[in-house]
Amino acid sequence: MEHTTLAHHLLLAGLLFALGLAGVLVRRNLLVVYMCLELMLAAATLALVAFSRFNRTMDGAVLVFFVITVAAAEVAVGLALIVALYRRRGTVSSERLDVLRP
Amino acid sequence: MSRDFTDLVHGILMLPLAAAALQALLCRRLGALASWISTGAAFVGAGLALRLLTASEGDVRWHAEIARLGEISLGVGYLVDSHARLMLFVVTFVGALIHLFSVGYMADDSARGRFFAGLSVFMFSILGIVVADNLLMTFVFWELVGFSSYMLIAHYFDRDYAAAASRKAFVVNRVGDLGFILGLAFCLSRFGTLQFEELRALSPAGGWPFALGALLACGFIGKSAQFPLHVWLTDAMAGPTPVSALIHAATMVAAGVYFMARIFFLLDPALLQAVAVSGAGMAALGGLCALAQTDIKKSLAYSTLAHLGIMACALGLGRPELALLHMAMHAFFKATLFLGAGSVIHGCHHEQDMLKMGGLLRKMPITAAAFIAATLSNCAVPFLAGWYSKDAIIEAAFHSGRAAEAALLAVAAVATCLYSARMIRLVFLGRPASDAAGHAHESPWTMTAPLVVLGLGYSLFGGLLAAQMLPASCLTVIAKPIAAMGFHPAAPATVVGLVALALGAFALKFYAAEPGRDALRERFPRVYDVLERRWMDGLYRWYVDAVQRRVAELVAFLDLLLINGLGVRWIAAGIPALLGFLSGRVFHGGQARAYAAWTAAGVLFIAWILIAR
Amino acid sequence: MPDGLFIFFAALTLGAASLLVLSRNAVTSAMGMILALVGVAADFFLLDAYFLGVLQVLVYAGAVMVLFLFIIMLLDTEDPTDSYPWRKAAGGLAVFFLLAAGVLWLFHWSGAVPNTPAGATPPELTAAPSEFATAAKAFGRLLYTKYLLPLEIAGLLLLTALVGVVSLSKDAPAGQA
Repeated sequence: MEHTTLAHHLLLAGLLFALGLAGVLVRRNLLVVYMCLELMLAAATLALVAFSRFNRTMDGAVLVFFVITVAAAEVAVGLALIVALYRRRGTVSSERLDVLRP
Repeated sequence: MSRDFTDLVHGILMLPLAAAALQALLCRRLGALASWISTGAAFVGAGLALRLLTASEGDVRWHAEIARLGEISLGVGYLVDSHARLMLFVVTFVGALIHLFSVGYMADDSARGRFFAGLSVFMFSILGIVVADNLLMTFVFWELVGFSSYMLIAHYFDRDYAAAASRKAFVVNRVGDLGFILGLAFCLSRFGTLQFEELRALSPAGGWPFALGALLACGFIGKSAQFPLHVWLTDAMAGPTPVSALIHAATMVAAGVYFMARIFFLLDPALLQAVAVSGAGMAALGGLCALAQTDIKKSLAYSTLAHLGIMACALGLGRPELALLHMAMHAFFKATLFLGAGSVIHGCHHEQDMLKMGGLLRKMPITAAAFIAATLSNCAVPFLAGWYSKDAIIEAAFHSGRAAEAALLAVAAVATCLYSARMIRLVFLGRPASDAAGHAHESPWTMTAPLVVLGLGYSLFGGLLAAQMLPASCLTVIAKPIAAMGFHPAAPATVVGLVALALGAFALKFYAAEPGRDALRERFPRVYDVLERRWMDGLYRWYVDAVQRRVAELVAFLDLLLINGLGVRWIAAGIPALLGFLSGRVFHGGQARAYAAWTAAGVLFIAWILIAR
Repeated sequence: MPDGLFIFFAALTLGAASLLVLSRNAVTSAMGMILALVGVAADFFLLDAYFLGVLQVLVYAGAVMVLFLFIIMLLDTEDPTDSYPWRKAAGGLAVFFLLAAGVLWLFHWSGAVPNTPAGATPPELTAAPSEFATAAKAFGRLLYTKYLLPLEIAGLLLLTALVGVVSLSKDAPAGQA
């Protein structure tokens, strides 16, 4: 415990973030993409908590609280959107959702 | 003690603004209430100004800084010296009476709320000019005055001529104000201050630069309708008659004279010379042109031009006090003349053609009495208000050995008597020349009361009473130069005045020829045509049509070709179009993943910059 | 060298996250996601943020992921014709390794992050009072004093989301579906 430093936690957060981003870029299933986004958020909250802990203030932790709240709302709306999309177009593959192609 | 008077000035200045705000916000549809709010505010203001005039001794000074830009301090403030006190009283008093007159004159108008709000805004603006202690504040209120004038001329904005007249007044004034604002900039860059007091204390070694005075005088030329920017004033008569009386005869156009008196110390002698010649010339021309107008208001407008010329001439002769005195006197009798004209127009069911009037002396006795009294004052009959100032100015011209100006002023005096006699003859004497005049009726008390107070009271006794009633503080500055000139009954000015009066009596007979016709036009049509033609308007039209439009068309063509065509169409629009085409090929595949990748790349790039910093 | 618990949970989190990203089956992905979130919550515990850790498990690993699972099962997103796009996945992997290298450099070798152990106060903050508290009570006090307005706004946001979801999940008008 004594030997775990801020850098370690940040490293973990950074790697999680990188994994999430790679997932967002690679995966085509919108649901999985969405989970990867949540993973990126979790990584960011981890960094926030670490900073908060090592700077001995509560502000970062409180911000994490709000991030979790907003993320919950976002997931609710996002999943509803995905369901609506599926109903309308019959797929959740980002590859097939390309009506914006010029 | 002086603190009290600052509050008084606050009150005088803010009352009209408060009234205008109240009307603009609440009384748009309540015409009657609006008119009385405005009138009440104007009368209270007049009372305060009278108290200021009679009670205060020294100057009232107050200043509040609004912004400091480096070395330059910008702010608002009061500098109420004896000139300003006199001017405050004249403006508020004449203004209040004209408000009262408007209550009757505009009784049937559907937009009274707007009209009276405009009057109140105008009062606020002109009072702002009077009390301002720096050039910037003067300029701001100067523009406000221009705006309210524009708004009131265009009161009947649904009529083409009124809209055109207001536009003309606005544009012509802009020409003058351009000079004014350049003068401000010049003054700031050269002397670093805009305060009148600080400027006065400066008195630079080599004298004040000619350009500064000339630029500032541009504002005066525009606002006071001096040659060559006088063309807007006669058209401005398209507004309601009380507006003509208040703005375009009594106060606003005189504000230019007041302003020149205020900055008199920084005017160059050569500039004054020019102002004197131009003023005297315009006095003579304006008076003569008034002979060739059949519209009663236009005729009066030319008369105003003549008097403004006389004031300018007094300024040019180095006698700003006389100019101010004449301004005050002129405000009273010219306001009466316009109000009388308004009453006549109202009585004759909005007939403005003098040739269609006649015999109104019996139909409208009070109006006629006031009008004739003011006319006599206008003609400088001895011991009436106009006599004191006008003859003093003519005398000053003789006294300074300026023969040309004196001669022109003499012509102006004669012309004044001629057109005055013509007006009286055509409007009030003889038999009615049309049904409208035949069925004329006297106006209600709200219109006649101001006429009686202004016309009979001030035009007749103003000069006599002024010396007794008003405290020395404001008249010493005027009394001294008059005394210094050795003014006496056999002075040249008196002789000129008497000759003019005799010619006036002759004109009364000359125009009696037959009703419904103009005797001058019948007998000397060429002379009449020359006077009626609007030479400067023609010149401007030629300039705009033949010169400016050609240049503008050339510029417009070049704009279309180079800027719009090459610059905008090809370069400015072409590059984005090319980029858009390329990016459409490269980035916009319609793949959400690709967008996410580019977004991530951008975010990471920004993060990299932030970290690397 | 960090202690064993941290290494264990870090490895668990990263492994689960890899499962999330790499698994072809969406349900497996969701399971990986749950595991990763539990790992993050464990890390919160290690950082003395017990309240947040509990919140993370309850809200994220619990409620949110259950919602995900419901939707996954509801939509039946399996698409047998979908082959794994290795060619494009290579790009994603390149992104991951690039980012990972950047993160390693930034947090480990650049020296930008002070290497202070968790227990010690950073030298530049010795004068500041220690505000960090582990109890949920301290958390609540802060939420209802300093962050009252954000809290209210968050509540409003949740309500808005609720209304939005209800309106979204209504049947699409006939002829448009």
